[in-house]
Amino acid sequence: MAKEDNNDNNKNKNKKEEKKDEDLSEEDLALKQQLELYVERVQDVDPNLQKVALESMRQEIRTSTSSMTSVPKPLKFLRPHYGTLKAYYETMGDSELKKYLADVLSVLALTMSAEGERESLKYRLEGSGGDIGSWGHEYVRNLAGEISQEYAKRQSEEVPIEDLMELVQQIVAFHMKHNAEPEAVDLLMEVEDLDLLIEHVDSTNFRRTCLYLTSSARYLPGPDDMLVLDIAYMIYIKFEEYPNALQIALFLDNMQYVKQVFTSCDDQLRKKQFCYILARHGITFELDEEMAANDDDREALQDIINNTKLSEGYLTLARDIEVMEPKSPEDIYKAHLLDGRASAGATVDSARQNLAATFVNAFVNAGFGQDKLMTVPSDNSSAGSSANWLFKNKEHGKTSATASLGMILLWDVDSGLAQMDKYFHASDNHVNAGALLGVGIVNCGIKNDCDPALALLGEHTDKEDPSIRIGAVMGLGIAYAGTQNEQLRSKLAPILNDAKAPLDVISFAALSLGLIYVGSCNEEVAQAIIFALMDRSETELGEPLTRLLPLGLGLLYLGKQESVEATAEVSKTFNEKIRKYCDMTLLSCAYAGTGNVLKVQNLLGHCSQHLDKSETHQGPAVLGIAMVAMAEELGLEMAIRSLEHLLQYGEQNIRHAVPLALGLLCISNPKVNVMDTLSRLSHDTDSEVAMAAVISLGLIGAGTNNARIAGMLRNLSSYYYKDASLLFCVRIAQGLVHMGKGLLTLNPYHSERFLLSPTALAGIVIMLHACLDMKSVILGKYHYMLYFLVLAMQPRMLMTVDENNKPISVPVRVGQAVDVVGQAGRPKTITGFQTHTTPVLLAAGDRAELATEKYIPLSPILEGFVILKENPNYREEDH
Amino acid sequence: MITVSVKWQKELFQAVEIDTSQPAYVFKCQLYDLTGVPPERQKIMVKGGLLKDDADWSTLGVKQGQKLMMMGTADEIIKAPEKGPVFMEDLPEEEQVVALGHSAGLFNLGNTCYMNSTVQCLHSVPELKSALIQYSHSGRSNEVDQTSHMLTIATRDLFNELDKSVKPVAPMQFWMVLRKKYPQFGQLHNGVFMQQDAEECWTQLLYTLSQSLSSTGSSENPDTMKALFGIELVSRVHCQESGEESSETESVYSLKCHISQEVNHLHEGLKHALKSELEKASPSLGRSAIYLKESRINGLPRYLTVQFVRFFWKRESNQKAKILRKVDYPLELDIYDLCSDDLRKKLEAPRKILRDEEGKKLGLKASEKSSGSKDNDVKMSDAEGSSNRSGEPSIATSEEGVPSDSGTQMTGIYDLVAVLTHKGRSADSGHYVAWVKQESGKWIEFDDDSPIAQREEDITKLSGGGDWHMAYICMYKARVLPK
Repeated sequence: MAKEDNNDNNKNKNKKEEKKDEDLSEEDLALKQQLELYVERVQDVDPNLQKVALESMRQEIRTSTSSMTSVPKPLKFLRPHYGTLKAYYETMGDSELKKYLADVLSVLALTMSAEGERESLKYRLEGSGGDIGSWGHEYVRNLAGEISQEYAKRQSEEVPIEDLMELVQQIVAFHMKHNAEPEAVDLLMEVEDLDLLIEHVDSTNFRRTCLYLTSSARYLPGPDDMLVLDIAYMIYIKFEEYPNALQIALFLDNMQYVKQVFTSCDDQLRKKQFCYILARHGITFELDEEMAANDDDREALQDIINNTKLSEGYLTLARDIEVMEPKSPEDIYKAHLLDGRASAGATVDSARQNLAATFVNAFVNAGFGQDKLMTVPSDNSSAGSSANWLFKNKEHGKTSATASLGMILLWDVDSGLAQMDKYFHASDNHVNAGALLGVGIVNCGIKNDCDPALALLGEHTDKEDPSIRIGAVMGLGIAYAGTQNEQLRSKLAPILNDAKAPLDVISFAALSLGLIYVGSCNEEVAQAIIFALMDRSETELGEPLTRLLPLGLGLLYLGKQESVEATAEVSKTFNEKIRKYCDMTLLSCAYAGTGNVLKVQNLLGHCSQHLDKSETHQGPAVLGIAMVAMAEELGLEMAIRSLEHLLQYGEQNIRHAVPLALGLLCISNPKVNVMDTLSRLSHDTDSEVAMAAVISLGLIGAGTNNARIAGMLRNLSSYYYKDASLLFCVRIAQGLVHMGKGLLTLNPYHSERFLLSPTALAGIVIMLHACLDMKSVILGKYHYMLYFLVLAMQPRMLMTVDENNKPISVPVRVGQAVDVVGQAGRPKTITGFQTHTTPVLLAAGDRAELATEKYIPLSPILEGFVILKENPNYREEDH
Repeated sequence: MITVSVKWQKELFQAVEIDTSQPAYVFKCQLYDLTGVPPERQKIMVKGGLLKDDADWSTLGVKQGQKLMMMGTADEIIKAPEKGPVFMEDLPEEEQVVALGHSAGLFNLGNTCYMNSTVQCLHSVPELKSALIQYSHSGRSNEVDQTSHMLTIATRDLFNELDKSVKPVAPMQFWMVLRKKYPQFGQLHNGVFMQQDAEECWTQLLYTLSQSLSSTGSSENPDTMKALFGIELVSRVHCQESGEESSETESVYSLKCHISQEVNHLHEGLKHALKSELEKASPSLGRSAIYLKESRINGLPRYLTVQFVRFFWKRESNQKAKILRKVDYPLELDIYDLCSDDLRKKLEAPRKILRDEEGKKLGLKASEKSSGSKDNDVKMSDAEGSSNRSGEPSIATSEEGVPSDSGTQMTGIYDLVAVLTHKGRSADSGHYVAWVKQESGKWIEFDDDSPIAQREEDITKLSGGGDWHMAYICMYKARVLPK
């Protein structure tokens, strides 16, 4: 009752103020006056009265802070009194009441505290503690922000932080319970104690938490990113989400973790799925008894890792889509759509055009095991018609022609080797070299206990004839990429330091070693290549082929970041002709796929210099921008813009490389803006730029059958019909666009663009480096370097299989992937979807989800081979 | 004795026994029985290496039940065909031209596109080429002056060079001689050679060639150029005032196509140009009077040249102005109604034969169609394509050897073979380009040094009316019948 009296008093006193508050409603006015009374009472001498006032004030604030559209009324009305309360607080002696007041002040500071004062935190620490969430989300959020600032300050002053951490515990617990995982993760990252997270995740929120962790890792500087992923891995393991854990293990390139995934799971079926993931990533991995106790089981698993069933699955896909019919190069050129302008009805064979047709035929029919040029069943006449086509190629062209057979029979080791056999006995060195290379290509990505590639090629690496040596060395490099095979090192390393070996053999040996030991940081191989580089004479260093040596060196450190530094130091002592080139190549390889913005800036800096013609290092620097920035979507877009600028301001040697860099950024992903840029560049007056742009058009459309690019290339073929070199490039690009009749992709990123296959990237990078000097490499006699692309070739499919690896057809929805990071609830992950039945093709940026409840996929990411398990809870719906 | 399984291609041979005391060759012979692959062709993979014939099993460490892999086939070994293919890249340059299907371009030597395009058009006349080849250095008679002789020689050499090369040719010599003979082409403006009128170049060149070639002394063809390009006109000159009438004949190298408001088509322009008014002294009136001159064609050339009179002297602005009006021209030109009565009579019989032939062809095509109607679409289009094209080779085959009227009959029907176009707003500027039909039936646009393939339907689009290339001179080739 006393309250009401006081109210009346106030009314009389503050008539003037009333005028000011005219726009306030009756209700608000009452509240305001009440609060003012509380403020007065708090300063009362009677502790009981104080307590009542404080309690009431708390009550008012609490009831209103739960909804947060604008500044809550109680806070607004208390604002003018913040100073008074603060002053009074300082005068109070320690007591319960003081803590109560501290709590209130802490909340008031939310809106009142000056920038950087962190009063909210200060009073919170001095206050009574208690449930932090009772003051509302906004308060907690504000507090979290102040904690991170305070933490940074205390870290630098080396002041203890225990009280802070206790608060952090409370806040994290609150956030995790209230669907605010990103805030919790952010706070923990700020206070550098992510381990806390593991205690607070539960089965409802760990997915969102991990998703946020993994996607934020891309934007964190090292070594924080590794730490974040580590936590994500542990959370996944904790909740037995093994496929996700495995992916993170692969991302970290941590074989220990991979092993742990295998050992912590004891379901054979799930292990099979792990093996499919490993096989897609293209790494070499030996299972031991710890990972799979049963011998038979282990063999079955190892078979999957060894990719022995890849060919079968691919052909199943091809049969399902009905593209088994072989295609001839003419089917791709579609010259009949270009009436009149098509090239003259060639009465005479052009070696250049036949070679182009060989490559087109190889790319288009890759993996199908049949074509219309090379595998045509030989009739009874003396030599089969395949031989006829083979000998329609000239000299080194025959190497590529024979090797194209390997491409056509890709992944099918058994029949591939059988068909290659007869070429081993030919009397022509070029054909023999091609057969060796072909064996390597057939075995690309496939491991076999008998090591047929090593057995067949091993003895040819030391032959007299350089073309045979190159064939064998390159074949081994492709077949054993990423295996880190000791036996091969002892075979190939001596070639590097063989004074009698020709330069081209040495270069290919360096590349193959780089491939076999890709991303391994192997000291000995690095030493061997470094010595080989130091041994080169002044003139040899000017040769385009010498530039493959630094690339081989760079591949050893692919994506390994700082590990390259020692070698980079050594490279500073090289002859100045190659020094900068080496420097750029090492830098770009080491940070490839990391998205490191600083390195991109560094490389851009190198490109901004205007140098005289003899400098060549800007080419790899431009490619390096693409290699580093291709890691994530944002950086990629920015890199595309930067490259456009380079195009305008850069010197010729930069402009040559820009189309290739664009090709790498959008590989097998024909973005319209890049397509337009490349189309413009394909008519550039500088033929090197035009050639690079044409090849890149092929790269961005690789395996997509993209009709727009196909049309562009067709028009280019008539535009350049009398420029043999450019026409050759157009043909190659046409072959790439229709690669595998549209079933393949060259994208080294897989598993929803999360993982980067190192061998695939290495293959593409080698091919791009070869294209940096188009005239002397691709248009010269080393055109078979185009076959390095085979390392990146993978079916872009979703194949669902049952427990026995037999394909089963189920409906799936395929649509554009949606970024759901940081979204609450269970948001839709795809948009604009269509329903298909498996096996189905996935385009760049597509995501699939099962459209039936009947099965449960064993991998959350529906790409490649996915094992389906019958859903025990599924009941056929009655109609 | 151990047993292993051997994998060969897709087959798996279980339980193959190895006698470890024997050399590996024995094992290979065992496999020969199983697979039919001779031992020397067998490649057996044993732990990262190939099994040698004399290998000792004990050192290889082959275990019981191990899986071995064998590679090898009994297939025939690849042999190179005895006669390898000939590659275009290996051919000498003149043979590459044949493969290319058209001759080389000409470098622009500084505003010489008028000359280049003229040369390219005339170069497409095979009869002119053969006539030039017969012209020899020594054959110069006194009637021809030194410079004309030199120009003829230069033309011959240039044509030769064009036929032999794939890369563009620089017509240095020809240009120098041309300037010497006709100094007006050497005019300079601000230190560079001026753009010239292609028609002037064309006319002068033809004139010179007709002079020198007619006097070569080759008896059978006294006037090659006239037979090739000369158009005989018979004109009736009539004075309305006095009623005087006279008739005269003349020979010209080109028909003019006057362009006026009512001319939309080449045919109208030609008719227009064949009627003219002139003022001359009338003997009967004793003063000058207006005479009407009406010309008819009395003799047809093998190559009919038509000039679109697009340029005229604009007195107000004191410059050569250009008429941009669109004047369509056909790919097939019939000039029957421009001919004199005498000539018409002569033409009637061959024209009838030609019509009959065409009718037959159409009939044949119709029957082909009806018979092939059950076939699929692809074949249909093929058949149409071939019959479309079949019209052209028949002419090509009919003219061979020396150009003479003796072996063939004129029909009054002409096919377009070359177009010289001009792009730009005035005669002294812009760009001249030659569009020439090749023997293969393909059209090539000779834009100085770069020949570009074009489609036939694009050729008729050069009729003017915009800022695109427009026809200035058209050259038609007679469709003839053997006698």
